[in-house]
Amino acid sequence: MSEFDVEFIDRSEDDRDARFVVRGVTPAFANGIRRAMIADVPTLSIDELRVIENSSVMFDEMIGLRLGLVPLTTPPGEFEEGETVTLALDVQGPATAYSGDLVSADGMVAPADENVPIIDLKESQRLELEAEAVLDHGKTHAKHQGGVAVGYRHLQTVEVVGDLGEFADDDPQILRGVIEEDGELVPTEEFGNDLRNRYPGKEVRVEDVPGAFVFDVETDGSMSAPELVLEAVDSLYARADELEEAVQL
Amino acid sequence: MELRVIENEPSELSIEIAGEDHTFMNVLKGALLETEGVTAATYDVNPEQSGGQTDPVLTIKTEEGRDALDALADAAGNVKAKSTSFRETFEAAL
Repeated sequence: MSEFDVEFIDRSEDDRDARFVVRGVTPAFANGIRRAMIADVPTLSIDELRVIENSSVMFDEMIGLRLGLVPLTTPPGEFEEGETVTLALDVQGPATAYSGDLVSADGMVAPADENVPIIDLKESQRLELEAEAVLDHGKTHAKHQGGVAVGYRHLQTVEVVGDLGEFADDDPQILRGVIEEDGELVPTEEFGNDLRNRYPGKEVRVEDVPGAFVFDVETDGSMSAPELVLEAVDSLYARADELEEAVQL
Repeated sequence: MELRVIENEPSELSIEIAGEDHTFMNVLKGALLETEGVTAATYDVNPEQSGGQTDPVLTIKTEEGRDALDALADAAGNVKAKSTSFRETFEAAL
C-alpha cells in the first residue's frame, strides 16, 4: 500500500502536457520534484558547431545560439551526461532553414519540432554545418531544460457557508486551478474560473486540501511529461542513494 | 556528492554537502524532521554573490543516544523509499 495517490486530470494527445493530482505528499517533496524537473533532468541540446559555410546575414555565434534552443528528443536512460550526438544542416537559399532540416546521426535523436525557423536565406546564401548536441542539465543552461512550464498548486475545496444577502456585492470570485467536489475533481475552467457561475447566490469558502497538489507539467518535446516526472523522481532517488552510501562508509 | 564534516558530536552534526542546492536539501531536511530521534534539522545555502561558503551546510540535532549520522542515513533511506513509492504509484496511474 502506497502512501501516495496519483490521479490524472488531463493529458494532451502528444503527451507533452499533463495535469495530475498527487495526494499524501509533503510540500518539500512536491517542490523537490518540481525543481528537479526544471533543473536536473538532462536533455540533449546543440552546444558546438563546425561551420562549413555560413554566407547568411547572421554570425556563426547567433546561428549557434538559435540551434542550441531547438529541443531535441532525448529518450531517458539512453545517454550519459556529457555524451554527444552529431547533427548536420545544409540549406541553400533562397529558402528558410528550419529545425526539421537538421539531420541526426542517431535515430533516437531528432528535433522535437520540425518548424522552428533558424534563419531566412536569400539567393546565393548558404548554411552548411555540423553540430554536436550534448547531454546536460537545465542548471548549466536553460536550453537543457526539459520542462518549460512546470508548477503545482494546492487542490482546493469549496464549502457553501450560506446564502448571499439580498444586497450583497456581486463581485467576481475568480479561482484558478482544480477544486474537489464530493470526491470529483473539477478544473475551474469548466465554470469560467468564477465561483459565482458554480454557486449562484451562495456565500462560499475556499480551502486548501492538505497534502494534495495539482501538478501542471509541460515539456519542450524532448521527452513526454510522464517521462519527465519519472526522471525527476529518479534523480532525487539517485542523490539520496549516493548520500546514504557516503554516510554509511 | 562530496561530504565534509564540519562538526561531529554525539548528538549534533554539521556537514557540508557539495554540489547540492535547495532541490535535494529541502527534501532531505523534510525527511530528517520526520525521522525518529531528530530534534532539529536545517540547512543553509548562501547565494553566490555572498562570497565564500556557497555549498549547503546541513545541521542536525538529535536526542541523546541517537547518532546524528545514523539519523542522516535513515532520512536518506526514507527519501529513497518515498521516491520508489511515488514512481510506482505514478506509473500505475498512467
